[in-house]
Amino acid sequence: MFVTDQTLPPIVRGEIQPWTDRNPTGGPVLAAFLADLLPASAGRILVAGPHDTDVLELAASRAGEVTVLLRSVSDAEALRGGKYTVVTGALDGLAEAVTTPFDVVIAADGLDRLLGPDSPALDWPERAALLRGLAAPGATVVIGVENGFAVTGLLDRRPEKDRYGDDEWRPLHDDPRRPASAAQAEAALGGATRRFALFAPDRRVHTMIESDAVGRTHPGFPGARIALAGLAAQTSATPLLAPVTTAAEAAARAGLLDTVAPGWLVVLGPAGETHTAYLPSGAADLTADGWRLGDRLVPDAESAETVLFRFAAAEDVPGFRAFAARLGALEDVAFFDEIHDFVAAPFAATGRSKAEMLAAAWHRFRDRLIGEHRRHPWPPWMADGDDLVKTWLAMSGVEPTADLLKYGREIVDEAFPAAEQPDLRAALADAEAAQLKIKEQAGHIFGLERTMRFRDQQLRTREQQLRNMRDEMRRFKAGKVVKVASVVGRVARLRDPKRLAGAVKKRARKFLPGRS
Amino acid sequence: MHHHNHYYGQAHILARYCGLNDLHPPRMRGYLQHGWNVACGWNPVHEFFDGAWRYTWSDPPRRRGHSLGRRNYHVIGAPFLYLADMEPDLGKVPEEERSGTLWFLFHGWEGGGKGGKIEGDHARLISEIKETETEQVTISLYYTEFERPEVRRAYEKAGFEVICFGKRGWNYEGTDRRFLYKQLETFRRFKRVAANRLSTAIFFGTAVGCQPAVYGDPMELEGDNPLFGGQARIKRLWPEMHGKDVDLAAARATTDVELGRSYVMPPAELRMLFDWNVRD
Repeated sequence: MFVTDQTLPPIVRGEIQPWTDRNPTGGPVLAAFLADLLPASAGRILVAGPHDTDVLELAASRAGEVTVLLRSVSDAEALRGGKYTVVTGALDGLAEAVTTPFDVVIAADGLDRLLGPDSPALDWPERAALLRGLAAPGATVVIGVENGFAVTGLLDRRPEKDRYGDDEWRPLHDDPRRPASAAQAEAALGGATRRFALFAPDRRVHTMIESDAVGRTHPGFPGARIALAGLAAQTSATPLLAPVTTAAEAAARAGLLDTVAPGWLVVLGPAGETHTAYLPSGAADLTADGWRLGDRLVPDAESAETVLFRFAAAEDVPGFRAFAARLGALEDVAFFDEIHDFVAAPFAATGRSKAEMLAAAWHRFRDRLIGEHRRHPWPPWMADGDDLVKTWLAMSGVEPTADLLKYGREIVDEAFPAAEQPDLRAALADAEAAQLKIKEQAGHIFGLERTMRFRDQQLRTREQQLRNMRDEMRRFKAGKVVKVASVVGRVARLRDPKRLAGAVKKRARKFLPGRS
Repeated sequence: MHHHNHYYGQAHILARYCGLNDLHPPRMRGYLQHGWNVACGWNPVHEFFDGAWRYTWSDPPRRRGHSLGRRNYHVIGAPFLYLADMEPDLGKVPEEERSGTLWFLFHGWEGGGKGGKIEGDHARLISEIKETETEQVTISLYYTEFERPEVRRAYEKAGFEVICFGKRGWNYEGTDRRFLYKQLETFRRFKRVAANRLSTAIFFGTAVGCQPAVYGDPMELEGDNPLFGGQARIKRLWPEMHGKDVDLAAARATTDVELGRSYVMPPAELRMLFDWNVRD
């Protein structure tokens, strides 16, 4: 085969078979980001590692030539025949074969799926150096970096050895030179043009948000909400020790949310103008006036949910009531973590009436308040059923009908399916709550018995009062005055023939059965 | 339900507010604060059973209870406020026709064999009342003092009208369920309410438009529990409520806090809170 300067062999050293790299990195969110980042005409693009067709198509639309490096023979075969040059093999093999560097290098999948078992034991900086060596001076390079200090990893309840698959023939995460923070990654790469916190469940990018923006956000603010939605997606299938929400909020409070993100996307070299965040629903920008989400400007302020949690924890029901009334007066209602300073973000559920949406929002708030074992002043007999939602809906000025409660529940169940498995802390807290419930029910029984004892005493008092009255009556009847009055009465009856006849008749009836 | 919940007919008032039978109010799933309280809402030796809720008038007792390791509080506002809302016209006279001082002597309690009598110099207190009040004075005695002739006669001899609003009851017996109705009706024709200790009556009177005053010998209560911190603590915490001529705006603001005015809730909410709805 004739090989020109730019022509690469279909296979280079280090390919693997049989092998498949599951879950290639990609998705429309990443494609939208790359569309902004890359110039309209990008020259030659190298996509290193497994990436999905969203990414490859985008690359193809911007470049005269797209080269895709895949270590799996079968993955490469499946991709051949399209508009890309597919090279099968390992990064080290490609580095030896490439003579002309690329204008753009995309390794959003990271540097962990670029070598084979036959490759040399290159550590992370060596792999990074090899990759960067494939890029021309002034090229744009995009690299995915996994965060070893991610909150998702810290709270993963599996032992470290059980978290990774067959591709850890060498323990990649035991690499002492592997960057464990964004600063270390940037130091290893020699500085970055831009960095985004990356949330990618099963490597399909769900959310990206600029590291600066997420590092400056606070709990309940739109930036934190965007990140927490990404975290929720990321952890939906991860067995956890504790919910990531609490830890992530603590990190946000400390300005460290970017530090504990699951990973980053680091951009080196020239870059097009990008948005502050990329979400499943579209892009978002943090401006001086707040977050621009689609056509709506949302204040960079705490969410209604955060404020309500605070009122509940402080057991400040009047404050809660007043805030609920203001929420009820809004024209646009959303879930309360999507309302900031009484402005609903446009990514709220739509197509429902305001009352239905309010019912759904209160159901969702109840689920979070009770499910997360947060502090509040309402008794368990209200928390167990729909009483809380009814109470809060009424506070918002909406009559809590049975239908409304039902519709609200349906909206929430559709939007937020229950977690596949509860985290360990929730399981322990649930068990403790169950123990407390048993104790309190026993207390309730004691209380009922105590009440019965009081009531028994009350009955005894009344009984004694009745006995005393009866004795008094008896004594009264036995008195001379009553006896005289009785005789006088009888005499009076004898003197009145009609009354006498009536009395005789009355007595006679007792001896005449069947007569009324 | 603890029998204290029936004291002064408070449970009856709340049952009526909730649209339920106020002659025989339903059982309440917890304890209802029955008087203004400088501690956690109840006396220091009050029994509580697990899982019972503590319904206080205001937030300060909840906070103090929390510091004592007690939980399960819900602030509901004083039942007297609910009554005043339900009876806007009871005893009402034009503002300019309100006159005189309704004067509450600090009262003892039933005791239950542990004391409960008050001791003090009534003659000296009477002199001070006469020196201070410029209009007619009606002395209100709780039945524990009203039934002590030596106390009652001292005030009658001084020329005061002496009244008693009735009994709060014990073990569901003897509760005058119109107790607070009578108080409300009476307060509304007086210009001033006064007492020798800051007490529930001062707050109730202030809540319905009386000018409050707290002065004179606070007297001693037999078996008084020092855990409450005594009169000195009360003066430290509520100086604005003490004196013969207190600032009315400040007194009203404090009264709203101590009676939990902002915590008053709608009937439907109260029914759920007390577990008063019929369950299937």
